[in-house]
Amino acid sequence: MSMDRRVVITGMGAITALGHDARATWEAMREGRSAIAPLAGFDDPTLRVRVAAQVRDYDPLKHFDEKKLLLLDRVSQFALVAAREAVAQSGLDFTADEKLRHRTACVIGTGTGGEQTNDEGSRRLYKEGNPRLHPLSIVRRMVNAPASQVSIEFGVTGPSFAVSSACASANHALAQAFALVRGGTSDVALAGGTEACITLGVLRAWEAMRVLADDTCRPFCKQRRGLVLAEGAGMFVLEDFDHARARGAEILADFAGAGMSADASDIVLPSDLGAARAISASLADARLNATDVDYINAHGTGTPANDPTETRAIRKVFGVHADALSVSSTKSMHGHALGAAGAIELLAAIGSLRENVIPPTANFLDPDPECDLDYVPNTPRERAVRAVLSNAFAFGGLNAVVALKRAS
Amino acid sequence: MSDEVQATVFGIIAKEANIDVAKITPDSTLKDLEIQSLDAIQIIFEIEDHYKIQMPDRDPNFDTESVRGLVETVRKLLADQAAAPPPAPPAA
Repeated sequence: MSMDRRVVITGMGAITALGHDARATWEAMREGRSAIAPLAGFDDPTLRVRVAAQVRDYDPLKHFDEKKLLLLDRVSQFALVAAREAVAQSGLDFTADEKLRHRTACVIGTGTGGEQTNDEGSRRLYKEGNPRLHPLSIVRRMVNAPASQVSIEFGVTGPSFAVSSACASANHALAQAFALVRGGTSDVALAGGTEACITLGVLRAWEAMRVLADDTCRPFCKQRRGLVLAEGAGMFVLEDFDHARARGAEILADFAGAGMSADASDIVLPSDLGAARAISASLADARLNATDVDYINAHGTGTPANDPTETRAIRKVFGVHADALSVSSTKSMHGHALGAAGAIELLAAIGSLRENVIPPTANFLDPDPECDLDYVPNTPRERAVRAVLSNAFAFGGLNAVVALKRAS
Repeated sequence: MSDEVQATVFGIIAKEANIDVAKITPDSTLKDLEIQSLDAIQIIFEIEDHYKIQMPDRDPNFDTESVRGLVETVRKLLADQAAAPPPAPPAA
């Protein structure tokens, strides 16, 4: 029988362009520091992509031995690094507790899966004319590899699967994990998103769509020129409140609800109606009034199309309260990590609730008349934060919004 | 050459957007022709492929510019190319 349990977050972990853990990532966001930098690692002067938010100074051997690394695409490495941090913070000890392992789910979003492996295989096959691909190519690149590897790492045997909805993958994954814990299927869920999409093939494909900025990511301002690709992961421990309280765990935030919708219209052009339906659904699911919300971490990609559409969607749902909201896009700092975006942005949501400070929209120049909300330009702002929404609207018109409340 | 460029660009627009080439004039905007952004990207891709040129990245107001602007851009790129042949592109 489905239950209606209170769900809380008891652990978080991350590896992003802003830092190699959740704390460093949040501190950079809180200070308004951007990690967008000249693209590194590609010696091809014909590439039009000039900037990216890459995970720098990352040494896989610091985290995994060589034998283990044979099994892991970069996308799974990131998921594991972030999951280890989240589990350590939660204080859960899976090794000692078989029942807990059975009662724990693992749901991880990724947009592209094992792109590094895919890219290496393509190079070998088409460029080098070598028909022999690495025997572990499939297990490295399958979209469920991060979820499988995290379940193996901790021995968790509850419902485990991947969720893929492009730029909304992480939020959809978090929504599924939330539903499993709220409904009583699992007591704990390891959930988030991961992406390692900075390969020549992916860069060229995005370049061809002409939606990438050549300078930096400037969401909601007049001079915005598109999105900036990023990589990384964010992972969280979602837990039944009673389970967390019984073991004296520190509660980082309440996971209050989630709302999802499909535009069912254009494959790339976003719809304000579809976005507004997901936002409204998240409020209803979380039993929040519009006036309870103080901060929205926007999808805010910095493309010409997204930002005014998202602004209209927020106005539709919040009415006059829209002008009292703080709305920021932290993609201006950590870039757009596609299937990991919602997970990285959940760090901003949690941080704002715990510290009562809104991370800014960095790189903001002049306002655009079509984007007329308070985007917290360039400078972080202190304000009391009771509830937060975090938006994700994917190519393909798939929307997922999660709602968090301050831990009470 | 100028007529050839215009005819070719018009032909590519008509084919990609599935409209009658007679509907297109130099003053038409992509918006007038009801060409969606995804079709516009494909039109540019086909023009680049046909002439082996690289069009500049579009501005946010691309959709409101006229087809004449597109044709002029192609002419200019072809003239630049004739004046100074670019280095051979990397192996595909």
